[in-house]
Amino acid sequence: MFDTSIKLALTLSQIGAVMGVVLLTVAVLTLLERKVLSWMQDRMGPMEVGPYGVLQPVADGLKLFFKEDIIPAGANKIMFSLAPILVLVPALIGFAVIPFGPNWTIDVMGVEFKPFVISDINIGVLYILAFASIGAYGVILGGWASNSKYSLLGGLRSAAQLISYELNVGLAIVGVLLLAGSLSLVEITEAQAGGFWNWFAFDPVPFPQFIAFVIFLIASVAETNRLPFDLPEAESELVAGFFTEYSGMRFAFFFMAEYANMILVSCMSTVLFFGGWHAPLPFLQAPGMFAWVTGIFWFTAKVYFFLFLFFWIRATLPRLRYDQLMRFGWKVLLPIALGNIVVTSVLAYIFPN
Amino acid sequence: MKLKKWIQSLIFYEILLGMKETLKHFLKYRPITLEYPHVKKPLPENYRGMLGLLRYDDDTEKCVGCDLCEAACPSRVIRVVSAEVPGEPTKRFAKEYYMDMTRCLFCGLCVKACPVDALGMSQEFEWAVYDKRNLQLNKEQLLAIGDRAFPEREKRLEFQHPNVAYFNVSFKDIPEKEF
Ligand code: SF4
Ligand code: SF4
Repeated sequence: MFDTSIKLALTLSQIGAVMGVVLLTVAVLTLLERKVLSWMQDRMGPMEVGPYGVLQPVADGLKLFFKEDIIPAGANKIMFSLAPILVLVPALIGFAVIPFGPNWTIDVMGVEFKPFVISDINIGVLYILAFASIGAYGVILGGWASNSKYSLLGGLRSAAQLISYELNVGLAIVGVLLLAGSLSLVEITEAQAGGFWNWFAFDPVPFPQFIAFVIFLIASVAETNRLPFDLPEAESELVAGFFTEYSGMRFAFFFMAEYANMILVSCMSTVLFFGGWHAPLPFLQAPGMFAWVTGIFWFTAKVYFFLFLFFWIRATLPRLRYDQLMRFGWKVLLPIALGNIVVTSVLAYIFPN
Repeated sequence: MKLKKWIQSLIFYEILLGMKETLKHFLKYRPITLEYPHVKKPLPENYRGMLGLLRYDDDTEKCVGCDLCEAACPSRVIRVVSAEVPGEPTKRFAKEYYMDMTRCLFCGLCVKACPVDALGMSQEFEWAVYDKRNLQLNKEQLLAIGDRAFPEREKRLEFQHPNVAYFNVSFKDIPEKEF
């Protein structure tokens, strides 16, 4: 009984810490995205709230919190309220299996406790993919429950996009799974220890997964509804696609979910292809006790690099047309991903590690 | 040639070029933004902003109530009620002068049309209001705009060119009209 309560307390505090960091990052990202985008486009971005606009996320949050919460006439109230939750919760829940630092087990009053991963389950990758698919339900329910034909069309389009590109995300990961021989994200990270030449994206033997990484990146940009694949939202031509009718906090939920998904996807590419918390060169890793400092540092640095890449791509590319999106997903990415699996498995069979 | 194109599309050559360009702008950050309410752009000399009625240097109104501006205006902004100056029968003025600035398109035709240059276009443009009715301006408001936008005033025409005949000049000794 005592053990259980200690475990519960530890896990709850860990969840609280991770959620706090994630939500804080979401707030930072909303500002960072606008700043980075405007710097790339020779603008200034938000400048009014606080010095250089650094308090803009606070102002945005307050504004959204106090906005009127409108439920359109004839909308299905339960579904309408459920949809934002169905989008946000899967985005946040995925962080449960992401290892942020070394795979240590410490003993707290007789209870085994892993400080840098909330729960190391042996099907971590599947778990994240499964919850990402639930997010698609939120999207289509949100579109349907709004009682507006535009929302419904937006929801259908996004559902089609999400389902098509989920496939590519899954297939791109298979190569990594073949090399690591495990679905647990902790073990996948462990398999890439010791220098960037061991990271799956670059590991020359048996086959570098760089192509798979590019496919994963493209597909996850589409998964998170970011430009150039942000057709569900398309703020400059559609109003906002499936969440046209949402306002106030419910709208904020969709917004936060988008950013949380971005962080989750960046974490996943870090863990799967770029060695998780491992330093790029062995001597950049602090030894022994302090390995967690460099571990968390490198993990954060990699994640922020990917987030920057998201912004960078957004600043560069125009939006795709819907048929281009579908053609690219099914006729280009899918065959390459399948080819990558074949080549990887053949080479992994010939040159086993 | 075909191979080169093929390889280029394989490594996303064009996209990488574009990303290089955006990164260049990111690293050499030189914004072209003017932070508008704090920094204002210098307006050109002949900027056509808010309309105002002008006065001569002896504080008399220039407008002679001739209605030409009303006739010239393509969107029927102006309404002039012309009247004789009390006690000076040869002289007329605009008793009332209204402008509905919600319709004005700032073409400047009224300014061109006025025979005595009684209208002027100021450099003011921050005229956003919460209530549309605040844009229905009367003579006093228009004169106030003219006063603050054109502090330099002309002399009366008869003093500018003493040997030329002008209309709308009062002759004090002319007898009253009899009906
Ligand atoms: S500027 Fe043009 S539209 Fe405006 S009052 Fe003068 S003539 Fe009419
Ligand atoms: S403003 Fe000029 S054109 Fe218009 S009524 Fe007065 S004098 Fe005539």
